Amino acid sequence: MKSRFALTLVSLWAVLTLNFLLPRWLPGDPLAALLDPDSSSYVYNAEVRGALEAYYGLDRPLGEQYAAYLTGALGGDLGRSIRLNQPVSDLLREHLSWTLLLTLSALIAASLLGVIAGSEAAWRRRSAADRLLVVTGVLASNAPVFFTGMILLILFGVELRWLPLAGGRTPFARYDNALEQVRDYGAHLLLPALTLTLALVGSKFLLVRNSVIGVLGEDFMLVARAKGLSPRRLKRHHALRNAIVPFVHHLTAHAGFAITGALFIETLFNYPGMGRLIFESVVARDYPVIQGVFLVVSVLVLCANLLADWLTARLDPRTQEA
Amino acid sequence: MQITLPQTARAIRQSRAPAAIRRLAASLGAEGAIGLALLVAFAIVGISAPLLAPYDPAAFSGAPLERPSADHRLGTNDVGQDILSELIAGARISLAVALGAAGGTVLLAVLIGGAAGYAGGWIDAALMRVVDVLMALPQLPLLILITALLGAGLGQMVLVFAALFWPGTARIIRAQVLSLRRRGYVAQARGFGAGPVYILRRHILPAIGPLIVFGLVTAAARAVVFEAGLAFLGLGDPTAKSWGLMMRYALNLPGLLLSDRWLWWLLPPGLCVTVLILALNLLGIGLEHRLDPRLKRP
Repeated sequence: MKSRFALTLVSLWAVLTLNFLLPRWLPGDPLAALLDPDSSSYVYNAEVRGALEAYYGLDRPLGEQYAAYLTGALGGDLGRSIRLNQPVSDLLREHLSWTLLLTLSALIAASLLGVIAGSEAAWRRRSAADRLLVVTGVLASNAPVFFTGMILLILFGVELRWLPLAGGRTPFARYDNALEQVRDYGAHLLLPALTLTLALVGSKFLLVRNSVIGVLGEDFMLVARAKGLSPRRLKRHHALRNAIVPFVHHLTAHAGFAITGALFIETLFNYPGMGRLIFESVVARDYPVIQGVFLVVSVLVLCANLLADWLTARLDPRTQEA
Repeated sequence: MQITLPQTARAIRQSRAPAAIRRLAASLGAEGAIGLALLVAFAIVGISAPLLAPYDPAAFSGAPLERPSADHRLGTNDVGQDILSELIAGARISLAVALGAAGGTVLLAVLIGGAAGYAGGWIDAALMRVVDVLMALPQLPLLILITALLGAGLGQMVLVFAALFWPGTARIIRAQVLSLRRRGYVAQARGFGAGPVYILRRHILPAIGPLIVFGLVTAAARAVVFEAGLAFLGLGDPTAKSWGLMMRYALNLPGLLLSDRWLWWLLPPGLCVTVLILALNLLGIGLEHRLDPRLKRP
């Protein structure tokens, strides 16, 4: 566990450093173009150029810039958006909650579905229903999220007109009571969350199914059955409980995949989360915001991975020895 | 000449596929065989794209936004290019990206994983820490950041994919090399005075062959997903009309979903990407079972 923690810290440092170095290494930085005599947007007025350099700290040595960047980033200062002229940290805070809402609701839905369907399929192994679920699971986990999302959008939003097409809430809507507000947010959340759930549920289902099947062959299952326990009790307390450890690890370790998927889905559905933010920033080449999203998503993923290892160690003491 | 599906099936039956192909299909299992067949189909379309496409995909061969007709089976896009031809040409781009990224990934993985496993000691420890850190980083945001800065060319994209994808495969290869190095026959070869290059070429490389194939397939699948995704986000190479970019352009048309245009403009490239990814992943599952028979579904 200690080494895992160290790895997370080192990775965090790597993320911060990449964030600092990449724009300085790679071409395409709009700021560098202002100071590069070969570029078309070179600032000829030496005084203005000097002021620009001083403002962004580019006249200082790289090490000093790095130190200033690190202290700023750790204190929550991620620069300003070029497009919106707002602090990046404000923008991120505003969009992060939408992404978390989408990702968490899809993760919860996919986990419930995956655990229930997976353990039932394992008990009815090789039945027609099991085979159908396995094929669906493989298909669902392979289709790219933006494609599944498009199909759902067209089906439920355009053809059936059941659900809103885009956005996180009805624009300019004024809610009379909290219930109305929840309904509006929920209706907008449903399609993106369903898309993400479909993308996540396949692998969870297959994992639970295979680990329950693995547990079914264990000796303690035979003993439990010989004791005359009811199938329900066997299923819940003996099979599922032992099969759940790899699932918990997968769930948290898969959070990165969920957030990545959410980035695409938000773009498709115009959902006001981090994905939408990064898409709009890419179009406007708003680098500070792209960097900010990279940083925040990385921190989320690193934390989820750490949580995965911690939970696994807590749930299964055998892994602690290794 | 039109070839229909039943004709093709009959042709395959009558041709009595060579024993080698039948053996391969059997060892890959149902999933792997389906994946391989689909992949071969895509490869044939990709290789013979200029012959198959009814028009030059870049030429303005019709009026803008034509509906499907005998002239344009999938209609035309907003500037009057034939969508079917674009679709067929898109196979080339996806496959080229997949091939390039997979090759680069595996090359790096074999070099780094092999070096770590063979050298051992502090070299191994250092390289594996790098692998740990790289694998912990979320790939999509990093890819977006790099492509946004680097600008999007297909070649650059392939290099970035390889630079990000190698750690997973390198770890597997390193473990295999580590265990091979300790085997008796390798030690004996060394005892007879075989140099490291000879041992690597003669004993290690053949033994990690299946891992290399598996690494190629998984890296290819990821490259296809990410290429389509980046193009979909508007970060792809604007000069290479890939399936993801076709979808991006289709969605850029205001009110696309309000007419039935999406049926022949948006759906076909989406289906192509999905089926190609599915084919690669199925082949991956088949290869995985072949590598480790214990994984075979109980």
